[in-house]
Amino acid sequence: MSSRLRGRPLVRTSYAQDMALLNTPAKRRSTIAIVIASFLVPFLVTDDLLLVLTLGMISAVGAIGLNLVTGYAGQVSLGHAFFIGLGAYTGAVLGGDPDAAVTGYGLPIYVWLPAAGLVAAVAGLLVGPIAVRLRGLYLAIVTLGLVFLGDHIFREARDLTGGPGVGRRGPDLVVFGIDMGESGVVLGLDLAREQRQFLMALVFLIVFAVLARNIARSGVGRAFSAIRDRDVAAAVIGVDLTRYKVMAFAMSSFFAGVTGALYYAVVGVFEPSAFGLLLSVQYLAMILIGGVATISGAIMGAIFISSLGRISGEIAHVLPFISESSGTDGLLSVFQLEAILYGVLIIVFLIFEPRGLFGIWTRIRNYWKGWPFSY
Amino acid sequence: MTDFFQALVNGFGQGSIYALLALGYVMIYKATRVISFAQPALMVVGGLFSYHFTSELGLNFWVGMVLGIVCGALVGMLVERIALRPMLGKPVFTLAIITIGVDIVLRIVSNRYIGVQSRIIEYPGGNERFSIGDVSISHQRLGLIAVTAVTVAALALFFQYSRTGLAMRATALDQETALAQGIRVGAVFALAWAIAGGLAAIAGTFVATGNAGIEQTSWIIALKALPAIIIGGLDSVQGAVVGGLAVGIVEALTATFQPDVAPWLGANFALVAPYALMFVVLLVRPYGLFGTREVERV
Amino acid sequence: MKLNRHLVRTSVVIAATALVLTGCRSSSSDEDSGAGPGISDEACPDAVNPDNGCISLGVISDLTKGPFAPLAVPITDAQKAFWKKVNEDGGVGGYDIDIASNIADAEYNPEIHNRKYQEMRKDILALGQTLGSSQTLAILEDMKDDDVLGLPASWNSAWEFEDQILESGANYCFEAMNGVDWAVANRGVTGKVIAVGYPGDYGGDAAAGVEAAAKANDLEFEKIETPTGQDNQAGAVAAILKAKPDLVVVTTGPAEMATIVGGTAAQGFTGTFVGSSPTWNPALLKSPAAPALEALFFQAGPWGPFGTDTPGHEAMRTALGDVTPNDGYTAGWTWSYPLLAALKKADEDGGITRESLVAAASELTEVDYEGILPPEAGATQGDPADVAYRSSVISKVDPAAPTGVSIEQDLTTGPTAEAYDFSKPCFSLQ
Repeated sequence: MSSRLRGRPLVRTSYAQDMALLNTPAKRRSTIAIVIASFLVPFLVTDDLLLVLTLGMISAVGAIGLNLVTGYAGQVSLGHAFFIGLGAYTGAVLGGDPDAAVTGYGLPIYVWLPAAGLVAAVAGLLVGPIAVRLRGLYLAIVTLGLVFLGDHIFREARDLTGGPGVGRRGPDLVVFGIDMGESGVVLGLDLAREQRQFLMALVFLIVFAVLARNIARSGVGRAFSAIRDRDVAAAVIGVDLTRYKVMAFAMSSFFAGVTGALYYAVVGVFEPSAFGLLLSVQYLAMILIGGVATISGAIMGAIFISSLGRISGEIAHVLPFISESSGTDGLLSVFQLEAILYGVLIIVFLIFEPRGLFGIWTRIRNYWKGWPFSY
Repeated sequence: MTDFFQALVNGFGQGSIYALLALGYVMIYKATRVISFAQPALMVVGGLFSYHFTSELGLNFWVGMVLGIVCGALVGMLVERIALRPMLGKPVFTLAIITIGVDIVLRIVSNRYIGVQSRIIEYPGGNERFSIGDVSISHQRLGLIAVTAVTVAALALFFQYSRTGLAMRATALDQETALAQGIRVGAVFALAWAIAGGLAAIAGTFVATGNAGIEQTSWIIALKALPAIIIGGLDSVQGAVVGGLAVGIVEALTATFQPDVAPWLGANFALVAPYALMFVVLLVRPYGLFGTREVERV
Repeated sequence: MKLNRHLVRTSVVIAATALVLTGCRSSSSDEDSGAGPGISDEACPDAVNPDNGCISLGVISDLTKGPFAPLAVPITDAQKAFWKKVNEDGGVGGYDIDIASNIADAEYNPEIHNRKYQEMRKDILALGQTLGSSQTLAILEDMKDDDVLGLPASWNSAWEFEDQILESGANYCFEAMNGVDWAVANRGVTGKVIAVGYPGDYGGDAAAGVEAAAKANDLEFEKIETPTGQDNQAGAVAAILKAKPDLVVVTTGPAEMATIVGGTAAQGFTGTFVGSSPTWNPALLKSPAAPALEALFFQAGPWGPFGTDTPGHEAMRTALGDVTPNDGYTAGWTWSYPLLAALKKADEDGGITRESLVAAASELTEVDYEGILPPEAGATQGDPADVAYRSSVISKVDPAAPTGVSIEQDLTTGPTAEAYDFSKPCFSLQ
């Protein structure tokens, strides 16, 4: 290993140092600070907001997966909802209650969670070759077709999914013997259900974020970026297009699968119509608003989009010209305003900051880097 | 056999709606290289304008429809000017998500207007049907097919013979060169969106004359035009028409015959049939039936 | 560009701050100064009776984006009008009832339904409305933990077996049976009956009822599932035309029903259609299918439509004022009566709390529906097989009526429903 020069933190003396995960002291310190702060959040924030953040963190893993295939590898996929659904149902079937009307095997989490990822990854492997043949918007709409196909399969497989309108319960969340669905005392702390789930989701996110970051800075990640920028040129320099495109789909589907399984384990009851076009678009919005081709951007985008419902609700209640009624008086009901704000916030964000939340973060960071000479 | 022909005729009628919507998508794609997910909202808005002019203000159906088309075109132009013009040059998928945002906003506002009712326009000529043997088609569907044919022909002539059509074709081919030639590319974009809005308004008007009218969930019909544009080719006008009609016919035939012929596919496979057709077409021709093959350059 | 940057930064900061401020965990929970959660001795906001305390009811419905928004909005409005009238009549047990402060839109999504419930679960005494079967199931365990009573916005037979849920009106299963029995007696139905409905509990419940009635009346039975969407009914239309039944029982939404009736009638079909209560919308009178609907369509419902002449309907019309008539209002209004009866009973039994309300709700022997339904229709004490209400109203299309339908046969229990062994739900939800 190489030595770090004291007092000269940004001098890199080896390739490993350059390519390290946290290669500047600022990154090291801020990452540690963020992680510690995140572990403290459950004790500072109300339970309903914790639920929103928990779901946001779990979907962040799915967003990271979509970022791998769409942001890093440049293959636009509108079919993310299909892989999430596959993962969710695999998890639910393997981990679900054996006594319910729908199929369930009651297996523990260390079986159903990886299995959910693997089943989705296999499906991604099958879809991958299509990506090689199609490009751009054709690929996008074909992956959309996957979503509709998946919707059909999920509706028809009543024994596994419960059917439309009825749905089924997700898998039971019992990690290392701790039941995430209950409240009570664990390891000396009295933790409510939402607090336990938050901490579990936080650990989950950290594990998968580090995994994805390592993929991105490895040779595989560089191949993805080459394919995104100009796949013909990448092929010329020896990047095997088929292999890497299929790998991109398989990896992103693995992430989607584990996301689906864990997400709907937290939500509880879910039905086939959850995995439609809207879900795919939501994930796409997460990575676009967060910042494409960045892991932290995907995380920020996911948390933002997940809290958007809550944010637009709060804003809608504050605005004076909106009637509180759900009926026909007033220009718009407060709920319609909430729904409109959802769309408007997305539009406004993309118009004013097309590089997304990560772009905003970059601006802030550069401002403070250059302060007081920030102009 | 009559079942087959009846399904064919029904599919042709429904396919005309998809063809109109697909044409709208293709117009916008050709001009701006963006897939606009705002077509469902434009269809609903255009249909509601026609409804307002015919049923609330009492105008003649055709007059009301023309006014609805004009209003739909204006809304399309407004959308382009407000939400998309500032975003020129940004990545294509960012623009697509913006159109989704626009779609959500427009739909919520139209739902306010629709309220609890379905909005139904009465087609002049009522419920009469025209029959050959056992196969019949309602006058309303015949009107739809006729209007679609006229519209497609008019568009084809416009593109082929008028200066503005030539300008649009030039912009679709190469924006920079068109600019260099003095073509106002911004106006071309606005015109493309206006045409798409107008086409969506025609589709919306005829949805409103159907048995169920326009209600809060009618916007989903427009999503069926997406496989149509892939089947036909994203940048091909004739492809959009062929694709739309193909989707309509395949859907109708599958709905009629699949429960008997292939029940193992599951109930209501007709919902997925257009996508299955799309997969099949793409296996053979990855750019759709009439799409231009992209030249890959380093 | 500078303005944009500041704008973006400020809006992000505002959004984040809003989120944070509303979300801070308070160590000293400001409990209501009253008997418990959802009930307090302070007056309601904008109270009708400022001296009364306040009971908070929650509503989790589909008010914007889901498929039932067109119906759910009038349902919610009628409930607001109902409880406003209750307050004007003096409230219950010295409390006013506030339903307007805790209305949430779950967009017919179980996940959002759950989230909205988590946000309001500490503030409400009971749920005045929870819309959707899988949505309600998503929160049912939490409702049981919280001892929160809920009123469903549907007529599923499974709710009769759930003490946490207080439903009213004959469920889809009995309604379908009554529809078939009526059609056999009055429309000369002899050969085949087809049940066309959405997949899932809504269509499944009715289909189970049709099957039972078909067996009792010696008819051939076929079940067809059809998806939502007026453009997706070609399969159902083709199947009906091929099978040529005498009777079709439709359990979909109004647009799909109109497409099926119009589509089959246009090809010469002349069989009878009986639709469940949510299949009718007054606007359909203007549709091309209107003549076919007038000739062939009948609606089976749990009670008389909007324009019926009963004290309860009259009270509803007065309370709502000038609105476009719609049977969503009738449903929301009528569903609320048992909750009022349960509140009164809980008050008599020693004070209103969540627990006493749940207990009272399963011990009702009668409910005053002000004439819309007979009092014994609301009885909940006892076995569902004995207490479940089994009568339905059959209405015909009537362009002169306010909602386009008027009563053809008033509340009657058909022979199949009368004899049916109701020991478990017709369509199991779990």
